[in-house]
Amino acid sequence: MRTRKNFLPIFLSLLPVFIILAVLRVYPIVVAVMKSFTNWDGLYQSDWVGLANYINFIKSGPFWKVLRNTLILMINVPLQVFIGLVVALLLYEKVKGWQFYRAMVYTPQIISAVIIGFLFKIFFGFNGPFNAVLRAVGLEKIAIEWFGNSYTALAVIVFSVVWFSIGWQAVVLLGGMSAIPPSVFEAAIIDGANYWQRAFKIVVPMLVRVLEFAIIASGVWTLTQLFPFLFAMTRGGPGYETSTLDYMIYLKSFGLGFGRDYGTATAIAVMLLVLVLILTLIEMRVANRADDWS
Amino acid sequence: MRRRRKLKGFLVSVLLALLTVSFLYPLYYMFINSLKTRTDFFTNQFNLPHPPLQFVNYTTMISQFKILNLFKNSLIISAFTVVGLLIIGTFASYVFAKYRFKGKSVIYVAVLATMFIPSQVTIIPLYVFFSKIGLVSTYWSVIFAYLALFLPECILLMTANFRSIIDELLEAAEIDGCSYLQKVWNVVIPMGRAAIFLSIIFYFIMSWNDLFTPMIFLQSMEKRTVMVALAALMGRYTGAPTLQFAGLLLSAVPALVVYIIFQRNIIRGLSLGAIK
Repeated sequence: MRTRKNFLPIFLSLLPVFIILAVLRVYPIVVAVMKSFTNWDGLYQSDWVGLANYINFIKSGPFWKVLRNTLILMINVPLQVFIGLVVALLLYEKVKGWQFYRAMVYTPQIISAVIIGFLFKIFFGFNGPFNAVLRAVGLEKIAIEWFGNSYTALAVIVFSVVWFSIGWQAVVLLGGMSAIPPSVFEAAIIDGANYWQRAFKIVVPMLVRVLEFAIIASGVWTLTQLFPFLFAMTRGGPGYETSTLDYMIYLKSFGLGFGRDYGTATAIAVMLLVLVLILTLIEMRVANRADDWS
Repeated sequence: MRRRRKLKGFLVSVLLALLTVSFLYPLYYMFINSLKTRTDFFTNQFNLPHPPLQFVNYTTMISQFKILNLFKNSLIISAFTVVGLLIIGTFASYVFAKYRFKGKSVIYVAVLATMFIPSQVTIIPLYVFFSKIGLVSTYWSVIFAYLALFLPECILLMTANFRSIIDELLEAAEIDGCSYLQKVWNVVIPMGRAAIFLSIIFYFIMSWNDLFTPMIFLQSMEKRTVMVALAALMGRYTGAPTLQFAGLLLSAVPALVVYIIFQRNIIRGLSLGAIK
């Protein structure tokens, strides 16, 4: 359509988006990057300290804990993608009532992550239902305080996150599958391919792009969206035993009652940003999504 | 052959039914235990409650914890967020979808690129900025933050959908003397209603369920959202689990109701453009 006549409506249509994004996203990012080199406390103190925030954080004990926790929590990504894929394959059979099952599988996504976090905290509490079942079947020894040490606590968190995310994976992967032409299957059935051959030799290879998207999106999600789960289940503790980068930002800025170390918090935030951008760039290169956009 | 297919269908149904149970059981568990006394809960947590049913857990949530007031706060924030997203998003997406001008794709990619900035990165400068201009502890702080967080994704979704609006319709509207606003109102909104509808449902649920942003920005007790208050309640009343179940369940209800009514739209939309 012609442009000149339309300059004003186009300009006015885009202006609110520019203002909102410039003031509430771009400006804060610039501030965060700049302040990450200072000992900012949010008020008056903001002296240049160079890379000290970064170096001190990397040298500190919690950093290695955070790194370990992040790596362990990342295990949720292959788990949720694999289980989601299996569920999607089950749904793809379109048995009677499959739409109902699809809706049910997606239900956890509708419930707030805070509620899910507390739910799992109760379920895996010392006197919670999980331990009650273990005791009932004579496995008292395994009925431990799950949140009492970092590894079992992280395992419960991974479990809860996988449970929460299966529905998303299943629905997205199923959406990808529905783009596969039925003729491909008919040909495979005529060739005598059985169910598993069809599933893993035809469906999965044709889903590669969707799978890549699902993996990277879940990776980014794990880096940035675990806050409510951690807040509900462990508060990042005991100590920093179950903290992640995004939780550390909260702890260093708003989480602790005493002194606000905005300088370190913004430095951690910048590190998180770099990680997320790397993952995103990998995805864009892999999937060539940049081309789809314009 | 036919028997084998029948058997397979049966097995698939059984597995799906098991999955459904595992996804619904926590809700059932919360529900039955929210109607028990404390001792009833500790002695038989897996069974149905002994009569009389303890509706007092729910009435306490309403009378003492003023959960309806918390609902009101969450509702105001979610509603304003959705309305803002729709107004701003519709106009911007229409321009991105249907107009050609220099630098459009650069602008479009720049807008979408902000989607990848984690909210934790901007929250501290934003908090300081909001406290300078007196927005902390107002609904507006959270609404503005949500608009900035959700707009790119919302625009991505709507633009993809608006592209499929037939150009002839827009041209016909122009020939009939429709102004720009009338074109948006009479053609774009009715034709793009699927994406608009999905955005309403989706971002309502997103804003309702979020914890991080309102927890940071809303420091005054009266303005807190359901999820923020719930997080505080769960930390404090560990001795009253049945009450906690009532609170958890009540807070989940509004989003679940929206989902039950609109689940077809949500899932159809999700399979098209993948949102996370």
